[in-house]
Amino acid sequence: MKFRPFNASAARLAAAYFLVFAIGVSLLLAAVYLLTKTELQSEADSVIEAELEGLIDEYRLDGRAGLVEVLNLRSDSWGRTGAVYWLSDAQLNRIAGNLTGWPFAGRPTAKWVEFDLLAEEDEETVRHPVRAQIYPLDRGDLLLVGTDVSEQQRFFTRLRTALVWRISLITLFAALVGFIYVRRVGARVRATAESCETIMAGDLSRRLPMEGSNDEFDQLALAVNHMLDRLEQQSTTLRATFDSTAHDLRAPLHRISMRLEEQLREPQLSAAARENLQSMLEEIARLQRTLGTLLQIAMADAGSLAQQAERVDLGQLARELAELYEPETQARELELAVQVEAAYVQGNRQLLAQLVVNLLENALKYVPAGGKLALTVRSVGQHVRFTMADDGPGIPAAERRHVLEPFVRLDRDSAVTGSGLGLSLVAAIVRLHRGTLSLGDNSPGLRVDCEFPRA
Amino acid sequence: MHLLVIEDDREAAQYLQKALRESGHSVEHAADGREGLFRATEGRYDLIIADRMLPHLDGLSIVSIMRQKGNATPVLILSALGTVDDRVRGLRAGGDDYLTKPFAITELLARIEALARRRATGDEMTRLKTADLELDLLTRRVSRGGRELDLTTKEFQLLEFLMRRAGQVVTRTMLLEGVWDLHFDPQTNLIDVHMSRLRQAIDRGFDKPLIQTVRGSGYRLGEQE
Repeated sequence: MKFRPFNASAARLAAAYFLVFAIGVSLLLAAVYLLTKTELQSEADSVIEAELEGLIDEYRLDGRAGLVEVLNLRSDSWGRTGAVYWLSDAQLNRIAGNLTGWPFAGRPTAKWVEFDLLAEEDEETVRHPVRAQIYPLDRGDLLLVGTDVSEQQRFFTRLRTALVWRISLITLFAALVGFIYVRRVGARVRATAESCETIMAGDLSRRLPMEGSNDEFDQLALAVNHMLDRLEQQSTTLRATFDSTAHDLRAPLHRISMRLEEQLREPQLSAAARENLQSMLEEIARLQRTLGTLLQIAMADAGSLAQQAERVDLGQLARELAELYEPETQARELELAVQVEAAYVQGNRQLLAQLVVNLLENALKYVPAGGKLALTVRSVGQHVRFTMADDGPGIPAAERRHVLEPFVRLDRDSAVTGSGLGLSLVAAIVRLHRGTLSLGDNSPGLRVDCEFPRA
Repeated sequence: MHLLVIEDDREAAQYLQKALRESGHSVEHAADGREGLFRATEGRYDLIIADRMLPHLDGLSIVSIMRQKGNATPVLILSALGTVDDRVRGLRAGGDDYLTKPFAITELLARIEALARRRATGDEMTRLKTADLELDLLTRRVSRGGRELDLTTKEFQLLEFLMRRAGQVVTRTMLLEGVWDLHFDPQTNLIDVHMSRLRQAIDRGFDKPLIQTVRGSGYRLGEQE
């Protein structure tokens, strides 16, 4: 089984948590930023407002001349506190203040304004953002009081940078934690799944390992192990049942055949009696084969491969068997095309050979003279595909599933001898090897595809 | 040959003993596993025929115990199970051959003969010779009367199998098992066609045929008796 980390539920869960976490952290820090910014700005604004109030009072008390005096005094301090002043008449002619010119075209309507001052510092033009309030005095005089906010804006920029870094680091950390968590959960799930696969493919007496931490995985392993106990017990019981059934059915067959053989050794036997005994022996042989096939189907479905699993080159096996059957196909005037490549599967050589033989014999039985058979073995991705195709009568689509069941034979084939077990055994062998079997239309004819995991 | 038959089915054992005696063997019989093991380890036999399922101690256990004690007498296991697994278990336990019930007496006789003679012929031979037929395992050449014969790979393997058992009866099942490694019974007479091809290759143009058909059993390599 292939493990895809981004399909795993642990990964999806971790990703969802990560997303919620990242968004939460981002919102929180953004709020911190906005609050800080608003707070600092309103503080700066209240300083301007307080100063403006003082200056307006001065104007009310001592008139324009008094205000000019105060402004001239204060203007000297620009550059240290960053305060900006401007007093003009209604025509915007400068009367006092440290601004050299009116920074706007016309008169802004808003109470609060923002503009830039350009200053020469170290032979460079530096832009100073200013925030200010404009207050209309009597007779159209205009008072502007503002503050250089470049320090404040630099602080905001630094704060923003710091917060973005913090968000990045925190989310990165969260992602890392999530990744490690997903890896760990994934590894344990994978280990559990792989153990299950190997146990089911092989030794039913093996059990899942437990870490001893009694966590969810240990509990899962415990449950699976209980299930395996049951399976193993059932498998043992089933095996014992098959064994005694086989014994009970074969023992009488054996006795009959021994008795018939002894009679056959009688020298004074008439030809008719001899022939009679011979055909009885043949009948017993057929019965014994049917029984053997049934048992093999049952064992294949009940058992596991482990004990006799080996690496089998299915391509070579198919080629050898095709060679074995070559005279037979020739005698039946059939053309057998063999196209195989070395392709290894983990399995039981005898059973795989039985599968190939059953499919070959089926084709030999049902494809009329002059027909073409094609046997192919090739690797397709992680699988090995064995294909037996013919241009014979085929199997109607509706019957295809049905013919894999034991003792099912098509009505039209009643003239051909057969037990109706050949394809059932093929299906059981494929199941035992954890493969897939499909019967298809070769138009015309039958196409049987068996796919096994590649070894 | 002196044989021990361990078989709990009294009727089957009786017929089996009779058939074996008729073919010139002397036979002793044990009716259960414990007695079978006792006789197998105490007595001296050329070959032991043991049923797979026996009361008290089954056939596989008998073989394992015998082998553990260093007893190398060939054992032929008779089984009513006959599945692929069962065969493997039988051979793994130390059995030398395995036959599914019911079987033809001729099959059993051929296998007894093959097992008994197996140790006489060494496996390390590089040249096999039967009458004027010679097979070189190293150069993979076959010649008869000095004339080189052209064989396919499978024909070569088939001939090698027969030459190693020259003079003995070899059944079709033995050929399927030994040459094709197939331990089940295909339903068609495939072996006969391959044998007739081999016969064409080695007997055509020679006066004395070397491949003899033994009626009701199989084939035998060697000049006509």
